[in-house]
Amino acid sequence: MDYDVIILGGGANGTGTARDCAMRGLRVLLLEKADFGVGASGNSSGMIHGGIRYMLSDRHVTALACRDSGYIQRIAPHLLFRIPFLMPFTTRAAGATLRDRAAWYATEVYVGTYDLFQPLKRGKPSTRLSADELYRLEPGLRPGLRGAVTLDEWGIDAFRLCALNALSARAHGAELRTWTAAREILAEGGRVRGVRFRDALTGEEGEARAPVVFNATGAWSPALARRSGAAVPMRPGKGVHLTLDRRYSNYGVILSAVDGRQMFVMPHESESIVGTTDDDYYGDPDDLEATNDEVEYLVEGAASLLPGVRNARITRAWCGLRTTIYAYGPNEDALSREHQLHDGAAYGRAGLLSLVGGKLASYRAQAEEATDRIVALLGRAPVPCRTHEEPLPGGDEVPDPAALARAHPVAAPVAARLVYRHGGRAREILRLLEEDPRLGLVLCRDEGILAAEVVHCVRHEQVRRLQDLRRRCRLAVGACAGLDCARVAAQLAARELGWSPEQVRAELADLLDAGWRERRPILDGAQLVQEELVRGAHAAAGAPW
Amino acid sequence: MVSPRAVAADVLVVGGGMAGAIAALAAREAGARVVLARRAPGATALSSGAIGVAPDPLALPGEPLRAAREPLEAARRLARLRPDHPYAVLGERLGALPEALAFAARVLAPLLAPPLERPRFLATPFGTAVPAALCQRSQAAGDLLAVDGALVVAGLRGHLGLDAALAAAGLERYRARGGPRAFAVEVDPGLGEVGLFRPHELARALEPPGAAEALGRAIRAALPAGAGAALVPPVLGLRPEARVPERVAAAAGIPVAELLADVPSVPGVRLQAALEAALAAAGVEVVQGALQGAGPGKPAMVGADEITAPRWVLATGRFVGGGVVRRGTLREPVLGLPVQAAEGREAGVDLAARPAASLTGAARSGPQPLLSAGLRVDALLRPLDGRGRPAADGLFAAGAVLGGHEQASDGTGLGVAILTGYLAGRAAARPGGGE
Repeated sequence: MDYDVIILGGGANGTGTARDCAMRGLRVLLLEKADFGVGASGNSSGMIHGGIRYMLSDRHVTALACRDSGYIQRIAPHLLFRIPFLMPFTTRAAGATLRDRAAWYATEVYVGTYDLFQPLKRGKPSTRLSADELYRLEPGLRPGLRGAVTLDEWGIDAFRLCALNALSARAHGAELRTWTAAREILAEGGRVRGVRFRDALTGEEGEARAPVVFNATGAWSPALARRSGAAVPMRPGKGVHLTLDRRYSNYGVILSAVDGRQMFVMPHESESIVGTTDDDYYGDPDDLEATNDEVEYLVEGAASLLPGVRNARITRAWCGLRTTIYAYGPNEDALSREHQLHDGAAYGRAGLLSLVGGKLASYRAQAEEATDRIVALLGRAPVPCRTHEEPLPGGDEVPDPAALARAHPVAAPVAARLVYRHGGRAREILRLLEEDPRLGLVLCRDEGILAAEVVHCVRHEQVRRLQDLRRRCRLAVGACAGLDCARVAAQLAARELGWSPEQVRAELADLLDAGWRERRPILDGAQLVQEELVRGAHAAAGAPW
Repeated sequence: MVSPRAVAADVLVVGGGMAGAIAALAAREAGARVVLARRAPGATALSSGAIGVAPDPLALPGEPLRAAREPLEAARRLARLRPDHPYAVLGERLGALPEALAFAARVLAPLLAPPLERPRFLATPFGTAVPAALCQRSQAAGDLLAVDGALVVAGLRGHLGLDAALAAAGLERYRARGGPRAFAVEVDPGLGEVGLFRPHELARALEPPGAAEALGRAIRAALPAGAGAALVPPVLGLRPEARVPERVAAAAGIPVAELLADVPSVPGVRLQAALEAALAAAGVEVVQGALQGAGPGKPAMVGADEITAPRWVLATGRFVGGGVVRRGTLREPVLGLPVQAAEGREAGVDLAARPAASLTGAARSGPQPLLSAGLRVDALLRPLDGRGRPAADGLFAAGAVLGGHEQASDGTGLGVAILTGYLAGRAAARPGGGE
């Protein structure tokens, strides 16, 4: 056999499991049909939260998530940022009914109970804010609120989390193949024996053999399983987020959508993110786009407490598919966020393990559990997991951005973004400037992308297509939509990867296509102006139109 | 309280980009008193600085560059395939295109090179060649059919904006179609640390005495044998008076041309400046500010000026220019005209309240009705109301505010601006114009 285990899918579960398996000494091949994190992981809210929502139904999900949040802070401290959330009391202050008071009391008890979990993730205990205190913190909230409770959560760049897990796996000997899709899981005599795959960029087809195949392809799982004679039941749910061009609040705000569902507005860098919808989705997972009514739903919900959002410039509408465990009956929101490992033995596919469900926040624990099962399926002696101890690449010796900015010719905000994305490896990136000062050019002022960062990512972070840089360093995902960064980044990548002029133009077109899909439903006001500008600029420079 | 200054004119042009300026100049030449009101410099300043009229939709992929149709023929072909395009809407009057281009070349003579019978093929940073009906003098020597010898793409040391090797490799592909050999070289412009310069900063740095000459000498030193012309990044000076392209070429000893630009576009800024100079030279009064008014014949306020003119040319641009805006619904903000034109099956439909996603296609490079939304006009360039009748007496429209073409990306933006600006300006100059 070529490998001990073949892992399908480059999301948090796939890359996390690849890392764990490789660290435990297994020979690992990871196949990802596109790039790391393109599915549910990267398009999630990007929160390493404790799952307060699940406290009533799945209390152990909350505990698991909180404990793992603490571990993730330890292994990737640079990638996490604290998001204090406000849960405003929306009922009238004057003449509150007994029912209102009971609701406030219940909220306080609820959040107070969550406080018991907070130490697991280094969270701060909740506080109770008076109306005055609330409006001092968030003057943009609509008038008439009675106060709020706070609760502490953590955010993360989920795309980079996936990429770092993959890179760590590679450093421990795993082989990674992105833009390579599993076509079929091969089986013989009731056991899996490998995978047939196809490289989407070169057209190369091949087979890789392993006694265990771990299927972590998320919403793509059911179709892959069907093609291979197995079944993975799930209820895929579509979740849409909006990015607003600036911060409409400095704290996360939890609020209710028009149908009473819980939603949030939260700050991320200089932007706000609004999320999320949750609807069953049975379409093609490769053809996922936010619709106008989903955008409307989110704006209406966010504007109910932050009226300024109604006039916001929306810069992107992005979506992913949750893979919740199949159940007939419950509403989408009420579906369990628990995860399950399906053994393919029932379908004559012993050695096939499929993961359904789970949360980004608990990816590491899910990967540990999956790796334990994989080791057992291989009949190996148990090896202890170390993924909660060993830092992810860049997660050790994280530098102080201000000190970096003093020591190198780079502006402090750019240094801060660099450290956020790359942790300790920011130093390596800035060393590129010593050899080639041109690489100190800030390609994108929205996202603080240095030319050196693009070069570093292309060289060291498994970049095969230009659009991979959307996920490695946020190329062309800011409000500018790739106006004057995309072409120069394409040229830099071309030089590193040896692309022909035709390939560069095709890659640039592909990058612009990816942005277009996220902006199509939100073209309005200044963002429509920007769209025209971007199209004009790239057409003038000879990008294919 | 300052009392308004009353200004009477024959023609009020609203908008100061290519379409508005050409309309004002054409009306002025026809003898009219013209006032041009503008809020800000137009989107013309963001263009590549060269003027494409129409990419020939029937050109064969590998056909020799010399087989290229003259701009009018290419525009006619385009009009036949795209019935909502302004070229098609103009009908017979499309035939005025060569006259309009010649007019633009004449009024912008210090900046623009004289037009040829055929398009010029100008290089992009990706090494593709784009046909241009008109271009700046600083771009003309890069015409792939005009280079006598090899074309040398000169990257500037320390400047990331142009990858000369990539551009040269792309241009080499045109040899089979009659293009020149292409080489890449790297030259030191002698400006010190230029790596972090933006294009306009580099352009300004080349203006002082000695700077352009130093670049020219560096190019001369790097030239391979058989070089016929050199292509450099589009940074040869912001002010045409500084004569940067001429000075670089003189020191280099061969013709030197700029590549086409994306944003920020130095040649685009020069084009806008040339329009303003032409307006001043022709005696067009330019007033600055947002316009409030109810249409031709009625007084319009621009800043402290009250302007009354019996005929108006609306040349307010598209989204970047602000001639069409969308805030939940699509609007034409100056006169509240219906926004209805678009291409394909959306043509003529009232687009105003339709959701954005229903006006766009999933394929980015396919037709996008939202991005070609604008005014619908008759063949005389009179904006039409919702029932297809001219919306107001004496009202004309020109340029990107006309719908039916994706002016930013379909290669016809400045061509439409020049042709419709010219026709609208001349029509507006005559009482009862256009009838």
